Amino acid sequence: MTDTASAQLKRVLHLIPRLADGEEHALTEVAAAAETSPAELLRDLESISERFDAPGGFVEGVSILVEENTVCVTANQFHRPMRLTMPELCALELGLSMLRRERTPAEQAPIDRALGRLRDTITHVPTNDRHEGTRYADLGASGSADHLASLRGALSSDRKVELRYRAGGATESSTRTICPHSLAHAEHMWYLVATGDDGTLRFFRLDRVEAIRVLDETFERDGAAAVRVQETGRAFVSDTSRRMTVRYSPRIARWVAEREGQPLAADGSLTMEHPVADESWAIRHVLQYGPDAELIAPPELRAMMSKTLRSFGGVSR
Amino acid sequence: MPASKVQRWIDLLAALLGHRMPVTFKQLARDVPAYLADGSGAADEPSPTLKRMFERDKAELLGLGVPIVSIGEEGSDESAYTLRTKEFYLPYLGIVSARGIVRPTTVDHYGYRSLATLAFEPDELEVIVEGARRAAQVGDPVLAEEARNAVRKLAFDLPLGATDGPGGAVIAKPRPRADSRTLATLGDALFRRKRVTFRYQAMGAAAGAERSAEPYGLFFVSGHWYLAARDVEKGALRNFRVSRIDAAVVNKTKGGTTDYEIPASFSLREHAQSRQAWEIGDGDAFEAVVEFTGVSGAVRAAAALGRADESNASHRRFQVRRADSFARWLFSFAGDATPIAPPSLVSEYAAITSTTRAVYAP
Repeated sequence: MTDTASAQLKRVLHLIPRLADGEEHALTEVAAAAETSPAELLRDLESISERFDAPGGFVEGVSILVEENTVCVTANQFHRPMRLTMPELCALELGLSMLRRERTPAEQAPIDRALGRLRDTITHVPTNDRHEGTRYADLGASGSADHLASLRGALSSDRKVELRYRAGGATESSTRTICPHSLAHAEHMWYLVATGDDGTLRFFRLDRVEAIRVLDETFERDGAAAVRVQETGRAFVSDTSRRMTVRYSPRIARWVAEREGQPLAADGSLTMEHPVADESWAIRHVLQYGPDAELIAPPELRAMMSKTLRSFGGVSR
Repeated sequence: MPASKVQRWIDLLAALLGHRMPVTFKQLARDVPAYLADGSGAADEPSPTLKRMFERDKAELLGLGVPIVSIGEEGSDESAYTLRTKEFYLPYLGIVSARGIVRPTTVDHYGYRSLATLAFEPDELEVIVEGARRAAQVGDPVLAEEARNAVRKLAFDLPLGATDGPGGAVIAKPRPRADSRTLATLGDALFRRKRVTFRYQAMGAAAGAERSAEPYGLFFVSGHWYLAARDVEKGALRNFRVSRIDAAVVNKTKGGTTDYEIPASFSLREHAQSRQAWEIGDGDAFEAVVEFTGVSGAVRAAAALGRADESNASHRRFQVRRADSFARWLFSFAGDATPIAPPSLVSEYAAITSTTRAVYAP
């Protein structure tokens, strides 16, 4: 099957129900509604309107009149869109099942109802069962579903939030008022993308949020902050110029290099710099690789690593 | 100039939808100019060439989800075909409101009056749009397009918002990302149950190796797409990260038949559930007991991943399959998370501590 023909048929079956009322429609408006360009729209319409082989007496099922800036369609059929196909249902099911795992039991009810109803909108063809259960997506649980629910409420109403949070290296919680711009899932974790009173962009790991109170005060949400996370793949922002150099042994370097987009050295190891905004993060990051990662520089951070390693026993107490 | 394929398909669909009763190919051909192209149809004896064209069209439209039903012996002159309007057209989609169901404008033509009305509640519409956004963000263009198509259809009657844009939540794009053509190839092999060969760069290997696999499913966890498939050479189920797959080719022999079946006992959902690194592996699971002494945000979040130990408030219990991975994770908390049991885990942790200290020895 040619992708072009099947894609074109889908577009045409999407277009005709919107146009087949015998009235003139502006081409630009139709193209915008169909999320296509006027040129592609014209190509699609011409593909079903230009006939060279119609026998005498043949009555068109779909009649299309294209003028300079308008199009007029009359049709015996196609006054409604086609039902959803199984792949279309599966795509929605995949997204809805991802949502379901993030939500509280009370929030799952509309998802379950929607899933049930969508099943009633599909076409039934013999190959439908070939699609069943062949794709799955899971972002993993991180943080409280109740906190996520509160944040979604704040985001949808552009309201500020009072957040009690304990940072990775902090031994006490702090409470602050923030403007939540988006939720972002990066590196296996949900983050709240927000600005504080000083306007600085910050990321808060959901699993370190202790309490949330949605305030009445509103603000203007900035969607671009989240898009930046989406593109860079990182929920991290820092204006620090501080760096640490870490050498990863050949045993693990390939994994790190793949994740970081860095080239391996000739001996299969990887040495690279990381920005350091939080020393406790730096120590945790290097320790997670055990002897396969070595903090090379700066000297004061390496000294801190040595001191940390001497401070705990390594055996059960 | 011959009719475009889309025009032929539209004519065929219009012809099928215009008949209340099943019709033979001879009858259909009168309504589809492309099936009269060589004059044989007009003479009421459609040529084998035209019949083959019709069979191909029918198969392709079925592949696109058009529910054409064949009655009688497939391919014979007596076979009849039907496309029932209520099985082709989207039902009327209404919205439940305080005043009852708000219904869309109905079409006053034959075939449309029998369409049922399906009523959605407003909170269902919100999650459908959000679900479509999620599907569009996991890095598979085909999946994203299917979700967009579905929402476009539903939006014919329903006031659904746009699915492009980040909405309230975004999924960061991982590095490296799965190649969209590879995902499409694997998806095609999976749907047709055909073997697929590819070059795979396993993490432990210096160079890539040729693999032959029978795809059971594609899953997205931890920000990456994986292929769950039976490795033909090893005769065992394996997960392949799609971003490490190159030059994937679907078995072209016997295209109309399947190469394998996915075992009924296989559940992709169970197989692919998101897990911590120490929960994944072929080893037997054991229970680990860990003492958490730190109070930093990182340590508290880590402790929350385990189950409470009723005998000791500072102890948490974990199900572990990979002791090495688990010990390293505990080690990253620099003494604030110490293994208590079993002894093998305690030893593993002590060994990591000792060898890591040696790295920084003066």
